[in-house]
Amino acid sequence: MKRLMIILMTASISMSLIPQAYAGGDTANGKKVYEEECSDCHSVTAGKNKKGPSFFGVVGRKSATIADFNYSDAMRAKNIAWSPEAINDYIKAPKKSVPGGKMKYDGLDDEKSRTDVIAYIATLH
Amino acid sequence: MKNKYILWGLLLLGLSEPALAVPSFARQTGQDCAACHIGSYGPQLTPYGMKFKMGGYTESDGKEGHIPISAMLVQSFTNTKKDQTEDPAPHFKTNNNASLQEVSVFVAGRVNDNIGGFSQITWSEPDRKTTMDNFDLRFVKPMQIAGNDTIFGISLNNNPTIQDPFNTTPGWKFPYLGSELAPTPAAGQMIAGGLETQVLGATAYTLYDNHWYAELGGYQSFSKNMLNKMNIDPADKISGTSPYWRVAYFNDMHKSAYSVGLFGLSTHILPGREAGPTDKYTDIGIDGSYQFLGTREHVMTVDGSYIHENRKLDASFASDPAIKRNGTVNRLDLSTSYHYDKTYGLTAGFFDITGNKDSVLYEDLVADSGSRTNSPNSRGYTLQADWTPLGKENSWGAPFANMRLAVQYTGYTKFNGAKKDYDGLGRNASDNNTLYTSIWFAL
Repeated sequence: MKRLMIILMTASISMSLIPQAYAGGDTANGKKVYEEECSDCHSVTAGKNKKGPSFFGVVGRKSATIADFNYSDAMRAKNIAWSPEAINDYIKAPKKSVPGGKMKYDGLDDEKSRTDVIAYIATLH
Repeated sequence: MKNKYILWGLLLLGLSEPALAVPSFARQTGQDCAACHIGSYGPQLTPYGMKFKMGGYTESDGKEGHIPISAMLVQSFTNTKKDQTEDPAPHFKTNNNASLQEVSVFVAGRVNDNIGGFSQITWSEPDRKTTMDNFDLRFVKPMQIAGNDTIFGISLNNNPTIQDPFNTTPGWKFPYLGSELAPTPAAGQMIAGGLETQVLGATAYTLYDNHWYAELGGYQSFSKNMLNKMNIDPADKISGTSPYWRVAYFNDMHKSAYSVGLFGLSTHILPGREAGPTDKYTDIGIDGSYQFLGTREHVMTVDGSYIHENRKLDASFASDPAIKRNGTVNRLDLSTSYHYDKTYGLTAGFFDITGNKDSVLYEDLVADSGSRTNSPNSRGYTLQADWTPLGKENSWGAPFANMRLAVQYTGYTKFNGAKKDYDGLGRNASDNNTLYTSIWFAL
């Protein structure tokens, strides 16, 4: 019961970090967008880092803080918390958001797709 | 007459397909095999895999200590509809042959951010010897030009098109693995394995703006001494340098991808490595591909290429005027594949070979491999079903344990110029229809 309470509290705190615009995203479509656009390089499994770090628990996490992932110097210098807005800015234009970063992704232009994928990522706790 | 057999040897060299499965790249990058390969197994590349190759195999997870060694084993079984007239290789029967087709060790990985590659050493039961197999060593320099990502690279390799990033050129087109113990059409093309492992090539390439690919380089034959050191039987020699070129447009849209391109090779061959006139082969190809990737649950691909080879056989003509001095060999390949859940695959391929008649190159009354009509024209199809249970992100033993089980059937509707009695000795094209099964391990 104690473990369940911790999980529920963690989930509710995480969800409270999501602004309404992202909380209203379509998580089912967001999962599809993740699989199409992100899954080659990012796992949703906790502790599984591929070319990019795991998406598990990324919403609310401080940037460049997964201990065994080799971030770029540019990402280490970013020093932000991955709020939904910060993630939105980053995946819209990664090279503009973090010049000198390692992510080679050109960016996700479609606003609804960004909203949905952030809503999906926010469920990963 | 000697030159005829040299030519046959060259043609038959084109029948072998490079088979590559290199899990050390997965360990180096932290990626699963499915990220780089359609169906979670080499060599059919995804757009991600193509970029990894164009990036010189240098991408990594940033961690130290990866051991750049992989190994591969292929056990196969070959059945032809009708027994062959003679044993296809020493120690094998005229039909129903099990074969330890390849046991390979790879040194494959990155040296630093600018240098990477692979080299393969292979023992095969049909050949019963260990030889230097394919290699591709690269130097790359990523940079920005006009604000666009650009890669400049140099490849040192020993087989024209082995360095190509697309799934359509002879080194990498379907079928990716096939029998080495079944009859195959007589005519091959120089660019399709005719120089494999006999040459050293240096090509410079660039990928501009992640779309435009261009490559230019040349090949020269290894010396006899060097080939002996690599345990490779010396074949004919290139006179001078054979230029190779390639241009392509590539568009990776994540959910799908496509490419279109042109490529070519021009080769002057000294048969028997003897000074004198040369046989000239000029190959020009056009290719295209499309991949639907979606969520990676349902993946569909279409690949196609057409290669025209023009021949001016001055050397062979000088030694045997019965050989036609000028000729052509053309080859069309089309294939389509569907993979479900990165595990279950179905592929269908079609091929059509045409060329000029020649009573010496395609001789009547030669059992199984001859041509009653003196024609190289052959046509057929290859169907394959495969199962790749490992190689995904959460697979057992990943990224070390990898396996593919495949069943393949090749049917011929025309073989060396005819459907019926093509060799003048009563053998029909369909008698060469081949059932080929393989189990392929890589670690």
